[in-house]
Amino acid sequence: MAGGRDERQPGAGPWYGIKWIVGGLGLLVVGFPLLAGGFGDVEAGRRKAEVCAPCHGADGNSTTPEVPSLAGQPPLYTYYQLLLFQQQQRVSAQMAPVVASLSRQDMQDLAAYYAVQTPAVPPPPRDPAKAEVGRRLVKAHYCDSCHAPGLVGQKHIPRLAGQHYAYLVTQLRAYKTQQRTDLDGTMTIVAQPLSNEEIEALAEYLASLPAGAGLPRPHTAR
Amino acid sequence: MGQKHGMSLHCAGRRLTVVALLPALLLVLGAMAPLQAQQPPWAQGRPPELATSPLAPHPQPPAPTPAKDLPIDKIKLPPGFKIEVWADMIPNARSMTLGSRGTLFVGSRGAGNVYAVVDRGDRREVKIIASGLQQPNGVAFKDGTLYVAEISRILKYEGIEERLDNPPEPVVVYDLLPKDRPHGWKYLAFGPDGKLYFNIGAPCNICLPPDTHAVIARINPDGSGFEYVARGVRNSVGFDFHPETGELYFTNHGRDWLGDDVPNDTLHHAPRPGFHFGYPYCHQGDVLDPEFGRGRSCTEFAPPLLKLGPHVAPNGMKFYTGRMFPPEYRHRIFIAQRGSWNRTQKIGYRVMQVELKLGEPPRYEVFAEGWLQGEEFWGRPAYVYVMPDGALLVSDDYNGAIYRITYAP
Repeated sequence: MAGGRDERQPGAGPWYGIKWIVGGLGLLVVGFPLLAGGFGDVEAGRRKAEVCAPCHGADGNSTTPEVPSLAGQPPLYTYYQLLLFQQQQRVSAQMAPVVASLSRQDMQDLAAYYAVQTPAVPPPPRDPAKAEVGRRLVKAHYCDSCHAPGLVGQKHIPRLAGQHYAYLVTQLRAYKTQQRTDLDGTMTIVAQPLSNEEIEALAEYLASLPAGAGLPRPHTAR
Repeated sequence: MGQKHGMSLHCAGRRLTVVALLPALLLVLGAMAPLQAQQPPWAQGRPPELATSPLAPHPQPPAPTPAKDLPIDKIKLPPGFKIEVWADMIPNARSMTLGSRGTLFVGSRGAGNVYAVVDRGDRREVKIIASGLQQPNGVAFKDGTLYVAEISRILKYEGIEERLDNPPEPVVVYDLLPKDRPHGWKYLAFGPDGKLYFNIGAPCNICLPPDTHAVIARINPDGSGFEYVARGVRNSVGFDFHPETGELYFTNHGRDWLGDDVPNDTLHHAPRPGFHFGYPYCHQGDVLDPEFGRGRSCTEFAPPLLKLGPHVAPNGMKFYTGRMFPPEYRHRIFIAQRGSWNRTQKIGYRVMQVELKLGEPPRYEVFAEGWLQGEEFWGRPAYVYVMPDGALLVSDDYNGAIYRITYAP
């Protein structure tokens, strides 16, 4: 495609060059206060997160396989999920009573707090062959187009790297069976053709993936 | 397969070969797996060297923003104009049309709802009159009937204004439209000829679409008489007809992943059916597509009336036909721009105005801005609508709100 570029196109040159990439990364760093700094109050979030700690861990690294880790999640993801729980668009008997009385500021503070927590180092895959199948599935389904290179998440899209195996399997099955709200339909389309074995392979791979892989995370670059 | 296996039984050596090759065969099949899945539509056409680009469409919040949390004081307008939040808590509010009894009907995309906003004087009451629809972006009203455009169907709700609390079941007007989701949502409007006009967008960022796509088309309100009005239109989700000439003007979203400044989104004029506006061969009237433009020339196609800026995302447009604004505003075009995602520095997030004068280039100026502050945006103007009193309504799908702009010198 680049070979067919028309020289008469003004402005096409820099796009393909390093300038653009540097600019893009710069924007990521500069633009981030929207999502962490200006988005919510980390310190307020720390206090408000005390009620979440028994299940999600004090630093957002859950030790219960069915409960997701929130450390290092993009703040917009955590915020939107809390909104969805409150609006009962995402249904969870555990979450419903906890989020009922949260204000939007509370949710943003919590999201900002978890976003700057460091994700725990994940265990190596229990079944490396299965994880390898999962790695290929990630490639085949272009998961990194939305979940970002390294599957570290971006904007409203969650970090998958280092997430708990059991939680990932549950969520992928929920998308497959349309039990989990899907804002734009993308995940339902991806998950529907997956077999149970493929779901397990994906989870095996993602759960073992270092949380800091891929692009520098916005909040660590800050 | 069975037969081949049977053949191999005749020769032990060959069977061994087959068994030995099996893992290799599986590997090859495994390598072919990527062919079965597709990139998300917005990433289509992205050059491989930009695979790690952080640019991606902005997510739609899952819940609307209450009016008290909207920093409306940040909006700048020409002197004498004022803006207020007219209605809020309308998830994903998009295109608007007014019923003959004064109900404002509002479509949405992902929310799947159609709303009725009833003006109670000091407040606006919002009712959901339809839900679970496939991206019902387009709404149009005529003779007591509300028409709604989903991705592949056009529906009508007869006598809707008498039954807002108990809406009738929709009647299907037309259901033969493509089911593609990328650029599948539609704008819908009645032309001065009494026909229903709508877009069928390109099912991709950049591709050679089938003849059925990248068009504006029209049908009679009873679903008969389908015909194409304009071709080579990547995705127009806003158009209007000149108040005097009745001719079609429309906005168009240009392709992504060609650069920060190329191509421009555009405003077009289609004085009669039959024009081709260039997609996917030529963009903005003077830029050949690097892939599809080979061997073509931009002179083959109808040029745009105006370049609106790269990636600004022009959605709704309306000629100003009211009498509230100063006389020079009469017949100016207002264009709502939802704002860029495929650009390193954000642009758009505003309402622009265009003045057309015979024999002169169009004048193009900012009318309302402030939804973008630096590189942060807090709202996205999606559609405009001129009310009978001359006030201009602006919907913001990001916040699920409708603003009202008035003039009082």
